[in-house]
Amino acid sequence: MHGESKVMASRLSFVIIGALLFTLLLALSGCIRESDITAEQRAHQLSGELMCPVCDGQTIDGSNAQIAVDMRLKVRDLLDEGLTNAEVRDYFVIRYGQEILAAPERSGFNLLAWIVPVLIVLGAIGIALLSIKNMRKSGLEAQSIGGTSVAIERKQDDLSDYLVQVDRDLGMSSDSNLSLNADSNSDVLKDSKETGISEKANS
Amino acid sequence: MADLGVMALMLGLVLSAYSAIGAVVGERIGMAELVVSARRALYMTTVAAAVASAALINAFVQNDFSIAYVADHSNTLMDRAFVWVAFYAGNEGSLLYILLALSVISAISVWFAPKRLARSMPWTIAILAIIQLFYFGVLTFAASPFELLDTIPLEGRGINPLLTHPGMFSHPPLLMGGLIAITIPFAFASGALIAGNYGDDWIDVARVSALIGWGVLGTGMLLGAWWAYTILGWGGYWAWDPIENVALMPWLVMTAFIHSIMVQKRRGMFRMWNVALLNIAFVLAQLGMFINRGGPVVSVHSFAASTLGVIFLVFMLASLVFAFALFLWRMPQLKSDRAMESFVSREASFLINNFLFLSVMAVTLWGVLYPLFSDLARDVSVSVSAPYFDRANGPVLLGIVIMMGIGPLLPWRKASARSMKQWFVWPTLVGLVAIGVLVALGVQRPVAIFSFGVLAFVATSIAEEWWRGTAARHRSGDNWALAWWRLVNGNRPRHGGYIAHLSILMLALGIIGTNFYQQRTDGALALGESLVLDNYRIEYVDNGDSSRPDRIAQWAEMSVYEIDPEDYKQEISFARAQGSSGFTLKDSTLRPNDELIDTIEPWHGFYIDFNMASVRSGIRSTVVEDLYVIPRDFLADGRVSLAVSINPLAWWLWASGPFFILGTMVALWPQAAVERRPARKRLQDESEGEI
Repeated sequence: MHGESKVMASRLSFVIIGALLFTLLLALSGCIRESDITAEQRAHQLSGELMCPVCDGQTIDGSNAQIAVDMRLKVRDLLDEGLTNAEVRDYFVIRYGQEILAAPERSGFNLLAWIVPVLIVLGAIGIALLSIKNMRKSGLEAQSIGGTSVAIERKQDDLSDYLVQVDRDLGMSSDSNLSLNADSNSDVLKDSKETGISEKANS
Repeated sequence: MADLGVMALMLGLVLSAYSAIGAVVGERIGMAELVVSARRALYMTTVAAAVASAALINAFVQNDFSIAYVADHSNTLMDRAFVWVAFYAGNEGSLLYILLALSVISAISVWFAPKRLARSMPWTIAILAIIQLFYFGVLTFAASPFELLDTIPLEGRGINPLLTHPGMFSHPPLLMGGLIAITIPFAFASGALIAGNYGDDWIDVARVSALIGWGVLGTGMLLGAWWAYTILGWGGYWAWDPIENVALMPWLVMTAFIHSIMVQKRRGMFRMWNVALLNIAFVLAQLGMFINRGGPVVSVHSFAASTLGVIFLVFMLASLVFAFALFLWRMPQLKSDRAMESFVSREASFLINNFLFLSVMAVTLWGVLYPLFSDLARDVSVSVSAPYFDRANGPVLLGIVIMMGIGPLLPWRKASARSMKQWFVWPTLVGLVAIGVLVALGVQRPVAIFSFGVLAFVATSIAEEWWRGTAARHRSGDNWALAWWRLVNGNRPRHGGYIAHLSILMLALGIIGTNFYQQRTDGALALGESLVLDNYRIEYVDNGDSSRPDRIAQWAEMSVYEIDPEDYKQEISFARAQGSSGFTLKDSTLRPNDELIDTIEPWHGFYIDFNMASVRSGIRSTVVEDLYVIPRDFLADGRVSLAVSINPLAWWLWASGPFFILGTMVALWPQAAVERRPARKRLQDESEGEI
């Protein structure tokens, strides 16, 4: 790869990416206008946290049932009276029971609803990392016994300069190089790039 | 007609039973002819299911109200186009549709299965036949769509009004088809395991069928979201409703599978893991069928509810036991060819992404089941809905998007520090600059700003990958477009994946915009009055009646103006003092800067027999934001009560759809039959041959 064209390419890519980014940001800033948090907006948000008692699985915010309409008005009234969001929720829990809340409270028995997801995610990441570690270890053990595929791939890595050269000599340079099906395109690109650099370093 | 349908179903029952028994017995006693005959019987079940379906559809066309299902789901007033929708509008019909879809894709996949799978095909056929047998059984004995009425009514009850929307021609069939399609990769993987065919012969068929099912299910969900947004007047598109969740869960697991199957294809790793993923996805699909058929949770999709719950519960548990017993039996044989070399490699990132998908699935499952659990454990009813799932799943979903930017840039095996630097500099920089600019512009909501930064990071990583690959080809003489096209064609699974990733970014853009920056106001307008929200003024100019015998329906015509808030300073400050986001104007004289930009026609209908309202929202959609007007009701005093919102970036939710489908198709498109094998690959094969 020629140094100059590489610099040119990265400059060009900078310009293009910059332009894309700029348009994206313009689009975003155009639509995300500031708006004051009005009582109406708070009421709307709270309505999304209260279930409609007579509908199946809908919040009062989404439902057109009469009771939902009345409850939305009540939420707004309670907010105008100066109640906090928590007090408004309590107001409805006292009258309709816990079922009225679209998400369980974070206290008492219901803490379970919130703790379990955290445990699931931490557990999943933990198992993933552990299994990667185990898969590495079993590979190393096999390697010390000798004759593993890992060792072969190492050998291939050592050969890679030579192999790239062979591909090139066979007329499979750049374009056909990319259609290697053993590895994906970019890997090959990366590989050849790295080889190019190391060649330079050697010389 | 009813007799023909019943006979076809009974014939199918016999054929599928014969196919299952024939395949197993033929394999055991080594009688090839019996296996061939079992395979043909499996093809014939498709004919049986098709005849039964045609009989039912014909009964709808003929308005044959002697059949209970027809009388319950259509009437003479129904648009004839909706016959297809009425076919699967209820419990029995949708089961027949699922059976039809299953038998067709079973036949196609068995027909096209490669020769080298011959050893495991009898088992695959048997599994497919048993699942079909279950559906034929249910349709024959428990939920026949051809049940006759004692007295024939003059008029049917009509189709569920919520279903009379163009989206309904495709949303339910795609969703049900996608769910049942998971059966195919499952049957091929299980067949291979039973036969002791531990190699990777099955993965091409499994990958292709899994991708098709995954794409179909994903498209079905997206169409459902679009339907909810445009018709249901919920003001939203995804409510984390139990029925939505049971479709999402298998889709998430299939997403994990179509990623990790690539690791097996290329590196011979994750064999056990891929089988486990298919098992989980299949069982979750059965859970979905169970919950949809009269399961124990409350849902807005309750029209499909029935008393079949127990039967489907038993079938789901049976699948669970079968899948995991088989898995445990064959687990010792499912070894990886290679070891993991590094935590920083594509294999490792795929594994982490897999576990993130599974944790979203598990958290969602926990959320769906928690109300039951609370009921049983302490006799207290609770609800678990959108606010819970947004909070519990949001962070992990963002984590998955981050992995989407990292994983594809990592090389297989092991990433060197240099290549990491080379590939991550630009995406990280662009992500950080995006965050910086948004902060500088004074945009609120830190979480959303960070998420936008993540989207910029991932988008740049894809752009970088395409840029470098295209530039390399361009240097060797192709023009830019051709160079990019050749790049994509050179490795379709990978670049199809990138296109699908782009669609997910667009979807995420819409989700973040609508969730964090929505503005909302309610109001009621008389003719001639206007409602103002932010930069919009909506004037109620006309209305009309479009009632029909089965419904009371009205529409309103509204002019949408773009306004300059300066012209309305006084009203705005007054509304703010009242705590309102928007306000109404009695006088509709235009102010100097008002500009007419659109006309919308929200519609509201009330269906008498169903005691159910249905609406069409008035939507003005642009790339930047949607103005979204739900007509809640036409009041007795002549006013119309409205819920008006501005949904930023909502357009991107629907724009993602075509890219999602395109990406899936590109990834699916078969590679050329004869693959060139360059020197490197040959040498690798030879050196492997040495040991």
